[in-house]
Amino acid sequence: MKEKIGVYICHCGGNISDYVKVEELSKMFHEEDNVVVSKDVMFACADSNQKEMIQDIQEFGLDSIVVCSCSPKLHLHTFKNVAERAGLNPSNYVQVNIREQCSWAHSDQPHEATVKAAGLIRAGINRVSYSESLEPIDISVKNTALVLGAGVAGMKAAIDLARSGTEVFIIEKDYFVGGRVAQKETLFPTETNAKQLVTSLYQEMKKYNNISLFAGASIEKVSGSLGNFNIDVKVKPRYLSPNANPQMVKQAMDECTVTSADPFNFGFKSRKAIYKNYPDAWPDVPVVIPELLENEIDYKEKFKTIFNFNEPEQILSLVAGSVLVTTGFNHYEPKEGEYGYKTIDNVITLPELNTLMELNPKQLVYNNKQVKSVAFIYCVGSRQTKGDNKYCSRQCCTSTIHTSLQLKEKYKDIQTYHLYRDIRTYGKQELMYEASSKQGDLYFKYEEKEMPVVEKVDNSTIVKVKDYLTAKMPLEIEADLVVLVTGMVPREDSAQISEFLKIPMGSDRFFNEIHPKLKPVETVIKGVYIGGACQGPKNISESVQSSMSGASKIVALLKRGTVSVDPIIARVDSDICTWCGKCAEVCDYTAIREIEVDDKRVAGVNKAVCTGCGICAPVCPVNAIEIAQYTDHEIESMIDGFLFEVDIKEGEVIQNDQHEEDESTGMKEYPQIWKEILAGIQERNTIPEIIQNTGINGDLVTYHLMTMNKYGIVSPDGMDAKEEYYYYKVKN
Amino acid sequence: MAKVNPKFAEELKKYGSYDFYACFNCGNCTATCSLSTQESSFPREMIRYTTLGLEDEIKASLKPWECYYCGQCSTECPRNASPGELMMSLRRYLTAAYDWTGLSGILYKSLPITIIAFVLIFLGVIAFAFSVQFDLERMLHVGHLFEAIAIGTIGVVILLPNVARMWYFTILKPKAKVPFLKYVKSLGELFIHMFTQKRALGCDDNQLRWFEHFILVIGYLSLLFTTVVLNWFGTDSLFIIILGYVMSAIVFVVTIDFIRRRRAKKEEMTKHSQPSDILFVAWLFWMGFSAFLVRLFIDLDILDTNKWLYIFHLTVLAQWALVIVPFGKWSHFLYRSFAMYFARLKAKG
Repeated sequence: MKEKIGVYICHCGGNISDYVKVEELSKMFHEEDNVVVSKDVMFACADSNQKEMIQDIQEFGLDSIVVCSCSPKLHLHTFKNVAERAGLNPSNYVQVNIREQCSWAHSDQPHEATVKAAGLIRAGINRVSYSESLEPIDISVKNTALVLGAGVAGMKAAIDLARSGTEVFIIEKDYFVGGRVAQKETLFPTETNAKQLVTSLYQEMKKYNNISLFAGASIEKVSGSLGNFNIDVKVKPRYLSPNANPQMVKQAMDECTVTSADPFNFGFKSRKAIYKNYPDAWPDVPVVIPELLENEIDYKEKFKTIFNFNEPEQILSLVAGSVLVTTGFNHYEPKEGEYGYKTIDNVITLPELNTLMELNPKQLVYNNKQVKSVAFIYCVGSRQTKGDNKYCSRQCCTSTIHTSLQLKEKYKDIQTYHLYRDIRTYGKQELMYEASSKQGDLYFKYEEKEMPVVEKVDNSTIVKVKDYLTAKMPLEIEADLVVLVTGMVPREDSAQISEFLKIPMGSDRFFNEIHPKLKPVETVIKGVYIGGACQGPKNISESVQSSMSGASKIVALLKRGTVSVDPIIARVDSDICTWCGKCAEVCDYTAIREIEVDDKRVAGVNKAVCTGCGICAPVCPVNAIEIAQYTDHEIESMIDGFLFEVDIKEGEVIQNDQHEEDESTGMKEYPQIWKEILAGIQERNTIPEIIQNTGINGDLVTYHLMTMNKYGIVSPDGMDAKEEYYYYKVKN
Repeated sequence: MAKVNPKFAEELKKYGSYDFYACFNCGNCTATCSLSTQESSFPREMIRYTTLGLEDEIKASLKPWECYYCGQCSTECPRNASPGELMMSLRRYLTAAYDWTGLSGILYKSLPITIIAFVLIFLGVIAFAFSVQFDLERMLHVGHLFEAIAIGTIGVVILLPNVARMWYFTILKPKAKVPFLKYVKSLGELFIHMFTQKRALGCDDNQLRWFEHFILVIGYLSLLFTTVVLNWFGTDSLFIIILGYVMSAIVFVVTIDFIRRRRAKKEEMTKHSQPSDILFVAWLFWMGFSAFLVRLFIDLDILDTNKWLYIFHLTVLAQWALVIVPFGKWSHFLYRSFAMYFARLKAKG
């Protein structure tokens, strides 16, 4: 029980005290409530008050404090820091929200707002009196990161991590690095050659001794938690002898005659039984498909020194302090018959067209026919209001328009038709749209409810569209090639990865971050980060940006060797616990395991994993689990406090102008923002000038000037409305 | 179902239009146009038809004739797609499309062929002069006769069938149902627009341009009447002589201002003049000016010693009557007024 509690009730410059009788409340709590100091203050967050609080804590030997002001979202950490600076454990501090929950919410009922505030404050006092000092939990972490996926995003993050001294394992499912980018030819907006980009990233990665690449590898098992993830990785064999003569390997590749379909090139090419995805693919070690060589006895005999058909699968056990998932995306695969896909011979997808263009440097030929016109149908597999993929895939508009520019540049005499729903070439990419429309590409707008139809009439392919730009006129477009602009979908194995690492997936089946703005690369699993298009559709720049921010998060996490985690977690009383396993069942983070304490089987909480969500506490049949800072004592005492009879007379709230005269509540020091604004006014600056000089948001400046005017600190006296808008005078 | 034909746009570029691909269909042009109405809105629709190459829709449309080219749309266009000039090019294209001989299109698209035609006509006039041994009396007589015959022949053989084709494209082919009585009742529309061009007043700040144009049309038609019907060059009536002087003077004085404006290129409508536009005003000028001089020389009795002047006048007249009237810009006089007439026929009520 705490016996020396300090209570500070904030006016918030009128935000609270205009409706809640702050002064009366400050006189309500006395020694019988274990309250030693009780004050009302103009701004609890002002520097002067923070100093005063520290003085009080030291002078009166306070063992806990309660600040009744705004939402803990805003100032919880401010006052935790005050407690810490005064030598108190920050857990002995409770914030009571009487602004958002009382004065703002009940401005029409000031008396009831005051009664509610009194209840909340007493609840806070009761809670703090049961508070215990908690120390942050330190976990030692291994300075090793595992990057999952060696696409552009993964490789770039690996390089950044390695440069900061972190040991990196980078795992790639394919035998060659580069991911989806390696399948492309030229990239917007810099016209970079995609394969050269992959090569340069791979070469840079090779410069670091602390990067280990495992190609042809996938995750088998994950255990452990933040700081010490144990990950089993399966590496598939290449069936190539490690000491094979490179000359012989090259010869074997040249002389191989057995082929199979090549998924890397969307089947437009076939690949040999000993292959690389493309000539410059990295690592520069080909892969053998033994099944194809079964009957090639002579060939196998001739090159027997280079093959190793008995090479087994390898399982590696890696330990990593943190994991960065950059597994990328899949292209949406249109259903059979969707816009004639696979039922009409000259309907293909955009990635297929890109590969076709790469394989046809001079003339665009498809099915042995020269292509003179291409019709693109946008938003295939994206923005389906009734389908699975409700999202926009972000990069496809620009990708299509870039392709259209390339078609014209490469093959000159070619006409493109664009059937779109909305063009989203955001940012600088808009210039490409401009170039495309100026070069004579024709745009047609369709709506989802009236989708274009692809038909084969005699020998020609006709796209029928109701064009919203021509007053919904039904139009027929004859095209040699119809290209479906397919969106992005998650990788086929993302559910499995989510299962391994416990990363939550959204309804769109992409991995979810904690908060799109404030925690954009963090997942709810501590130590596991996501980057690139596995999180949702992104273009290459955005993918690399997010994976690099994931990398810097990991560096910041692992650099110190230990990580402090919040002590607000579940605790098991092993005397009471009988290990029924119910808590482990409901835990979303697998933080609870069965352990043995003094020969007794009880539930054990992994401190590194537990988030303190509290789901385990109510399911325990014997009430053996409690959450720190939310113990039964604390919650029950809060309820009692809130129900305590309050005696407050109804009446007018004390007007604000009295505050100034009243010494005890007057401000000793203005908040920092006021000081800056006043300094500006003293120099006879106008409001826009102050906004510019201080960099404070314009709305805030006006708001604070109005507040200061209310308290008679500044005035616009003798000015007309227009001048008032620009000038205020400092009153003496 | 209309078929998209991107090649049409290339064809239209030969009639002077350009840059319309930049259009992103915002519709600012239509919003800013003071003549566009809810029932008949343009020019955005015509740009869209052009880029998509919907030839049938363009031929069936009267909208290009409903535009009087103030240029506001081009000024306001956020993409500099020049919708005003597109409408102008469509009028040239339609003139060619209505012309059953096909000569219009050839002459519009090729300046060299136009020059060759003019040179051939000049040689023809010289040959005729030789054939009559440069006898002034006979030249004047034949010249007068030529004018009357040319007007009649071209009117019947070229212009009338072309107007009929315009009617076919815009009313018959799109299956507009027009009761016969409406053809009669609406005739007033045709003549009002033919002789006043009152629709041009609907363009913002256009009063001066309309007035000049109005005076020119009246002057030109009166001069035509004075020379052909009243035989200005052969008459002794003082009234007719003075009337001819006044009318020819109006024609060449007003055309000077038109030429000046075309050369200054300050207004949107004069910025993009095609050879056909320049030829039209230049030849109007030369016609008025040379007719004025011819009558002056007759009155001073010096034409016999300056026969070259009459040969020059006859050449200008022949080029005008054989090229510009049937196949050139002159026909807009008919198409514009018939367009208003047909629009009234197609309108509801």
